[in-house]
Amino acid sequence: MAEGHVKPAALEQALKVLRERVDERTAAFLNACVRCGLCADTCHVYLADQEPASTPAAKVERVASLFRRYHTLLGRLAPGLVGAETLTEEALQALAAAAFGRCTLCGRCALNCSVGLDPAAIIRFARTVLVAAGMVPNGIQANIEAARASGNTMSISQEDVRETIAWLEEDLRQTIGDPEVSLPVDREGARVLYALNPRELKFFPLSISAAGMIFHAAGESWTLTSTDFDITNYGFFAGDIEAQREIADRLIRRAEELGVQELVVAECGHGYRTLRWEAPDWLGRPLPFAVRSFVEVMAEYLGAGRLRLDPSKNPDPVTLHDPCNLVRHGGVIEEQRYLLRHAVTTFVEMTPNREDNYCCGGGGGLLAASEHTAKRIESGKVKAEQIRATGAKVVASPCHNCIDQLMDLNRHYTLGVEVRTLGEIVADALILPVPPSS
Amino acid sequence: MPEVEIVGRTFAVDEEGFLQQPELWDDEVARLFATTEGISDMTPEHWGVVRTIREHYLQHGTAPMVRLLCQKTGLPLKAIFKLFPSGPAKGACKVAGLPKPEGCV
Repeated sequence: MAEGHVKPAALEQALKVLRERVDERTAAFLNACVRCGLCADTCHVYLADQEPASTPAAKVERVASLFRRYHTLLGRLAPGLVGAETLTEEALQALAAAAFGRCTLCGRCALNCSVGLDPAAIIRFARTVLVAAGMVPNGIQANIEAARASGNTMSISQEDVRETIAWLEEDLRQTIGDPEVSLPVDREGARVLYALNPRELKFFPLSISAAGMIFHAAGESWTLTSTDFDITNYGFFAGDIEAQREIADRLIRRAEELGVQELVVAECGHGYRTLRWEAPDWLGRPLPFAVRSFVEVMAEYLGAGRLRLDPSKNPDPVTLHDPCNLVRHGGVIEEQRYLLRHAVTTFVEMTPNREDNYCCGGGGGLLAASEHTAKRIESGKVKAEQIRATGAKVVASPCHNCIDQLMDLNRHYTLGVEVRTLGEIVADALILPVPPSS
Repeated sequence: MPEVEIVGRTFAVDEEGFLQQPELWDDEVARLFATTEGISDMTPEHWGVVRTIREHYLQHGTAPMVRLLCQKTGLPLKAIFKLFPSGPAKGACKVAGLPKPEGCV
């Protein structure tokens, strides 16, 4: 978090957001919480630390008390009587600790709310207030600025994208012994644009090779892009309304330029959610192409007989982590299970699962917010216990953000598992078409 | 700022254990940070990866792409993940004394 004092001008900006940008939905939610407390046991942060401040009701109340101060008659006239809190530097610090430090916006509490409100939406609003105050965690803010300046959060140059893909392509041709397999870049008129999380290009490129093998096996017409390829959106995590629109717009324009019929989002929960479900609202227009997760596309290929899989190639027991933004917020639920049942010998569900799954603890941008590392690792205890109980040796997770957190949990809680993308598991099970030369 | 004590020496680190004063880095510091990654014996391959990252960082101010790391050390990608179980970002970059890389890591 930005160090030091909140400047009066920043406080003024935050107050303006609090006064003027509460929409009807948020206002209804802020008035509706009856503090029944049912949400407490649904939150992985509270389950791990047992601190009352971590219950969703307490986090909602922190925002609601500010709301009452500026939006209700009694709150204005007699704030002390109705528990209305004035927006001060201390109130902002407490808001930041709750909205960034104790919530991953996973939304599990919403499914279990007795009056049907969505605490994650309220926390997102709190984050928008904090954006105005200049109180976004430094790591999240740095990612936003990198994405705005360079087109991706890791500031990877176009040349580095091209050289990495050429290197991967050469390696892939040797590995599978097929000179025809390719990783096309900037190919106009391809049917599909496959867009990436920059960490794949920079540090973890096996998932790109896996996608290449799968598109090749399915006979897809596809391309990568060397510019504006980034599916991540730290503007969304921050609650920065302008930044999230601008960041999504870059990739969408690039897809339009290439003239594709479909934008396929690599395995990234919030990337899928923002591009599939949020971006048309942000841009105020429908997108001229379909948006799907790579998980949905692989499942379609398998169902249509375009992929042949041999599950014996993945003999170790595999469990599945459901990323909140892909599953609970995104509605992609059964496809990953269908794929795993055909790609691995033993698939074990963790409990609970699907839309009732627990957050890994790394959602909501927390992986980039170093100041909240201790809380992030602590709240991942719930996920670590879920994984351990399955006895699985491999954890599949169709989200690079979750994967990073799961790798941290693997180490911290000595789980002894391997954490992999779904694409890598499917690619290992592929029975590839015989190259034309042999 | 948090501190970490490794075999009697104390270092200022960020909340994720990345060294905060890059100028303090030397071979001894690398060996100490390697132990926090579960690497008790720094082999020539480990050193190859770490020195390549270090050199790139001093020249460009960022961690190298993993492609460059493989090409300059002659190691296949999978070998890098074997050498540094936390991966090139949270594992190798940490031993090389870099601050935490930006992005989804």
